[in-house]
Amino acid sequence: MTMRLTPLALSVVTVCAWGLVLGVLSGRAELAVVVLPLLLGLLRIGRTVAAREWSLARALSAPRVFEGERVTVTVTVSADGPVPLLELFEPLPPTLRLVSGHNRGLFTLGPGRSVEWRYEVECVRRGRVNLGTVHARFWDRAGLEAGETSVRLPGQLRVYPRPLPLRRLPGPRRMQAFVGNYVAPSLGEGLEPGDIRAFVPGDRVRHVNWRASLRFRQLFVTQYHQERNADVVLMLDTLAEAGAAPATTLDASIRAAAALVTGYLARKDRVGLIEYCGPFRWVRPSSGRAHHERLFEALLRADVMFSYVTQDVALVPRRVLPPQALVIAISPLIDPRFERALVDLAARGFDLVVLSPSPIPLVRRAMRPSARADLACRLWALERRARADALHRLGITIVDWDPAESLEAALGGLTPSRRRGVVR
Amino acid sequence: MARRLAAVLTVVLVGSPLLIASSTAVLALGAAAMMLCFLGILAATPVLVGGMVLALGEYTLALWLAGGPPRLAGAVLFGVVLVLLLETADFGRLAHRATLGPGLLAAQIRSWAVFAAFAGVGALVASTGANVTSAAVRLPWAPAVAAAGAAVALVGVALALSYRRLPPRD
Repeated sequence: MTMRLTPLALSVVTVCAWGLVLGVLSGRAELAVVVLPLLLGLLRIGRTVAAREWSLARALSAPRVFEGERVTVTVTVSADGPVPLLELFEPLPPTLRLVSGHNRGLFTLGPGRSVEWRYEVECVRRGRVNLGTVHARFWDRAGLEAGETSVRLPGQLRVYPRPLPLRRLPGPRRMQAFVGNYVAPSLGEGLEPGDIRAFVPGDRVRHVNWRASLRFRQLFVTQYHQERNADVVLMLDTLAEAGAAPATTLDASIRAAAALVTGYLARKDRVGLIEYCGPFRWVRPSSGRAHHERLFEALLRADVMFSYVTQDVALVPRRVLPPQALVIAISPLIDPRFERALVDLAARGFDLVVLSPSPIPLVRRAMRPSARADLACRLWALERRARADALHRLGITIVDWDPAESLEAALGGLTPSRRRGVVR
Repeated sequence: MARRLAAVLTVVLVGSPLLIASSTAVLALGAAAMMLCFLGILAATPVLVGGMVLALGEYTLALWLAGGPPRLAGAVLFGVVLVLLLETADFGRLAHRATLGPGLLAAQIRSWAVFAAFAGVGALVASTGANVTSAAVRLPWAPAVAAAGAAVALVGVALALSYRRLPPRD
């Protein structure tokens, strides 16, 4: 670390020179005397040794948080030798917002002393945040000299998308073979009564329907619906996004996906994820806590990746997109390539629901209000409605969702309409 | 805290020439100097230096208007205030929107006080010595001071050329 003169030294010299000039012009000795303390001040230059006799350590209150949560960053400065004035600055990435304290600190330390510097940040947007480098500036007491260095400190923070509150989920039309929370059309072991039939040897006595048996004077047994789980595949459109961070259509889509992942896994369903960008990225359907974390990790890195490549949905392996799966496509329907993928999925007979976070309110929020913007948004809304109608005519269910409103309210209208069309 | 201290020093700096000669011209220069100094404390060092240049002009004008024998003690005080104002204002900007470590402000104030004492005593001793020497040895003082001023200005230019700008603080 090399010490260099600061602008303050130049300022002192300027004032000195001006004082002497005035002294010569006025012929007053006082002005020469005025300059003396300034010159004596300059004698302090070169006395500070820029030795790196201090060290830094950083600790985060939580390495993994959800969007909107706060994290306390603690930086410990320890000194082996005397440190007259140490300025530390930790630049914050745009996904973090300073809530309390400052991300710049000034410290003075004696030999063997240490000091803790704390500040609190709010995690505004999901992602892997790297608090990597602390910039340090070593000053002399007078501020006439300074030296700079950077210290790399490991500190990675994972900010997961905050799941939106969601109690009712779109029910799948087809079930899988494993035990779950859905009442399947097929009969077998379960809790929901389905049908009554005559007793045959081998039937359990506890299944005997005594009321029917007494009425018909013949033994009848109650049959029950099986309770099965479902495969749910979330297909996330990362081809394009609209709006300003942290309120883009992709942010809204990812929050909705996080809510759906949490909801379906809580129902013991197997959940998979396909990130539909240029090259596909996917997570196979599975269940459990470990899989929940796997899906959230996948959502963490989901981002818009522009590509001219358009992959065919048929390229997705069969195990990733099981034939009986409920496919929930989350897309603002901006890119026509995603619409073609939806039509392809519907043509292949998948149980398909499209959740479309509307980009219009998000874009309007980022724009200055004007009559022209109003007109453009109205035209855009009409165009979106026309495209949604075209998809609807192909048998694709589309849920238009304003991200400013509750996701539960948007999906609420979907549940009865799907119940009417349950495939037996 | 450092900014408040700088503001107090500004008032002292601008007010002391008025004690020497309280004329309208001195007052006007003082008002302009004070405004620039306050602005400089909040904004940037070059503005503060502009204010100090005006304050020096105000001091010179007051001395010229008042006449009489040299006021050496007052001049030493004025010089010490100039240095402290520059340093406190710079520290104030540095400490603005920053977490200050424990004992930092106290250590800084102690350092300024020690420097002010040393600089004041040093300047007084030097000026008294110069006074005594000037009584004994007759030298053409004005050209000598002019030469010293030119030398200081040259050093300043050399420093400015060799100085590489530090990156912004935030």
